[in-house]
Amino acid sequence: MVSDGPVLEVRHHWFPTRACGERSFLMNLEFSLNQRPEGDRPSLAEVVWSTGDVGQALSIVPPFMPRETRGKMRRLLQPWPSGRVSDAYSRSGGILNLFTPPWGEADDEVWAGMLSAWQAETFAGDHARQEALRALEQQWNATPHPFFAGLTPSQVMVGGGPREAGLAGEFLTQLARMYEGRPFESEGEALIKTLTLLRGWQSEPRRDGWTVRDIIVAERSALLARRARVLSSSR
Amino acid sequence: MSRTPRKRKRTRQARSRATPAYRKNVRQADDILAKEGVDIRPDNWQQLALDWFVPDEPERGELARYIADHEPQLGVAWAREVLRLEVFFQAKDYSQVIAHYERALSRYPRCALVEMWVADQFFRHQGDFWRARRMYRYAIEHLPDQGKPYYELGFMSYLLGDFSGALGWFHQAAGRVSEDDVEIAARIYYNRGIVRVLAEGDREAAIADVEEALRRKPDYPQAQEALRGLRGKIRWVPW
Repeated sequence: MVSDGPVLEVRHHWFPTRACGERSFLMNLEFSLNQRPEGDRPSLAEVVWSTGDVGQALSIVPPFMPRETRGKMRRLLQPWPSGRVSDAYSRSGGILNLFTPPWGEADDEVWAGMLSAWQAETFAGDHARQEALRALEQQWNATPHPFFAGLTPSQVMVGGGPREAGLAGEFLTQLARMYEGRPFESEGEALIKTLTLLRGWQSEPRRDGWTVRDIIVAERSALLARRARVLSSSR
Repeated sequence: MSRTPRKRKRTRQARSRATPAYRKNVRQADDILAKEGVDIRPDNWQQLALDWFVPDEPERGELARYIADHEPQLGVAWAREVLRLEVFFQAKDYSQVIAHYERALSRYPRCALVEMWVADQFFRHQGDFWRARRMYRYAIEHLPDQGKPYYELGFMSYLLGDFSGALGWFHQAAGRVSEDDVEIAARIYYNRGIVRVLAEGDREAAIADVEEALRRKPDYPQAQEALRGLRGKIRWVPW
């Protein structure tokens, strides 16, 4: 007899910096929210999209889940704000952004540029000014961002799906095989070597002609489209 | 009334960050300078800083302009810190370069040349991309004719996965690099070639760029390998 109870899975990876290792945990958590259980049941993210109830989604999570992890899941599952999704700064951004050193609004040259253009513009009144700001926020949400490896902030927010999870595992295995135990002069060198490897890997065409990046972007776009469908049907 | 104690506290904290290893390295740098017969005085500090830190044009002219602009705030003590920095660079002690920049040189008006060189250590040694990025941007603002900061921002954009942004920076770097800058020119053309394929799929242009890199620097194994790859089947894994 084989029990269908919880299975402990141990994975061993190598990361160039501690921050990357810690972010990989967040990345996997994001993947898990979009993972559909067997059968026709919805993912945790879909439960929240359709009900707006984070508690209901978390009630599906096994009770042995550590409280800290549950807290992180709760934060990730929160409904998005109607304006700019600035929480994207604190998401992992998936495998394409796993090794990018942490950055935030203060480093965001794109948003700073958009904001200063808005500030320099003359508007008919305060209402028009606020409307323009709201439009700008939506534009930022939906525009590929150079610091998110070309993902839009919305694509970062929605998290990766099962295909990206598989690809991330593939890359991390390859990375460990190449660099584990190898001496580096500094953290910076290890980081740059890792990122160089990543950017080559993401651009390599697969059998179907799609690159890894194409696959990831398509999956995240599909998740966003599904989210939009569920949200509109649940209203 | 309350400002003075806060300031004192900050100064004490800053001093306490000077580790014994840092102080030892500074003493060693001073020993090296003494052995070289360097005697920094009020009548020669400018000359020594120029001769040691930037012996060649156009950087020499840039530093001379910086000194002229900020002379009252500089002097013998500043020149000593610059010479120590140069010793750390020559010793390839990059952690010490960063520590010395933070502890000693950040007290003086920002010098675009110093920022440009120290930024490399933040970027490539410490992996602090965002600090380095601000420093390179400062260098571009004050040294618009230098190709190096454009190149570094191009390389950083590539690492961040922004290939079209990288291409833009590399174009700007290529427009500024001179025939004499063999090392940096070769790197600009090589990297632009690689990114041209990734961003635009333009293999012909990429081959032309890598060939240009090899014309500038024939002994460039990565470029030789890339050229073979571009003429055949591309393998992107960089080992």
